[in-house]
Amino acid sequence: MAEEPESVLQLPSTAAASGEGLMDVSPETATPEPPSSAAVSPGTEEPSGDTKKKIDILLKAVGDTPIMKTKKWAVERTRTIQGLIDFIKKFLKLVASEQLFIYVNQSFAPSPDQEVGTLYECFGSDGKLVLHYCKSQAWG
Amino acid sequence: MEEDEFFGEKTFQHHCSEFIKHSQQIGDGWEWRSSKEVLEVPLDDAEATETAAASEVIKYEYHVLYSSSYQVPVLYFRASFLDGRPLALKDIWEGVHECYQTRLQQGPWDTITQQEHPILGQPFFVLHPCKTNEFMAPVLKNSQKINRNINYITSWLSIVGPVVGLNLPLSYAIATSQDESNAL
Repeated sequence: MAEEPESVLQLPSTAAASGEGLMDVSPETATPEPPSSAAVSPGTEEPSGDTKKKIDILLKAVGDTPIMKTKKWAVERTRTIQGLIDFIKKFLKLVASEQLFIYVNQSFAPSPDQEVGTLYECFGSDGKLVLHYCKSQAWG
Repeated sequence: MEEDEFFGEKTFQHHCSEFIKHSQQIGDGWEWRSSKEVLEVPLDDAEATETAAASEVIKYEYHVLYSSSYQVPVLYFRASFLDGRPLALKDIWEGVHECYQTRLQQGPWDTITQQEHPILGQPFFVLHPCKTNEFMAPVLKNSQKINRNINYITSWLSIVGPVVGLNLPLSYAIATSQDESNAL
């Protein structure tokens, strides 16, 4: 399980998805993006076709973490947990010293390079993936 | 502190044994060892990684011990080449996910110390446990609120593991929820 540095190339969604071919691979890469990136868009404006490139994620705050005004997001399957963390941190305007954790099942923190599509396959229900997020000063 | 947040040795042992049950199911190598004074769960994880010069196999070792002073689990880790040459901390960092690197480079010695393993008597890197209660508390409180049991070791390790290159398979998260439904 060699840890590779985050590569610039975003790999197309592979076995994680239901196997249907994607129409196109998003031109966005893993490089840092502004919060308004199309890879994460509010609501579910995408019509549900045969192939859903994005999955619906419902974000819930845990503890004293600020609650996001927009809770429901359509996210590309290949978006990683780390990408989502960066997005939420920017959205909530957290400072660099604050850590943000994301949990599935309200108890387990997936690895930063885990794709949300895989999490959706394992933990999604009722057409969405519920993720809890929590801020903390875990270190330092 | 509420009683449920108290993480005594017995609780540690119980959560470890549940954790190991799943580890045995998926064969990822955790086992339980105890001495009179110390309780621990070591993992030998041989991983192959390419260096600039040649292919080398690096062996990562992770041990979960119980800290009586902090009353929380503590992660001991080290890495070495197969011939026994140890990796320096900065080499281990290269395998750590980018998102943690900046954070830890700012003050690695605030969070990582080098200590002698209580059983093996050899130097290990240790992820300092002083903040563990802080980041575990919201998870524990939340689990009480929704009336659901969690495995402390699984949750804790899923949070701290990636910082030092240890990624738990997702099946641990599913195993926990299955335990819950069995318990109902």
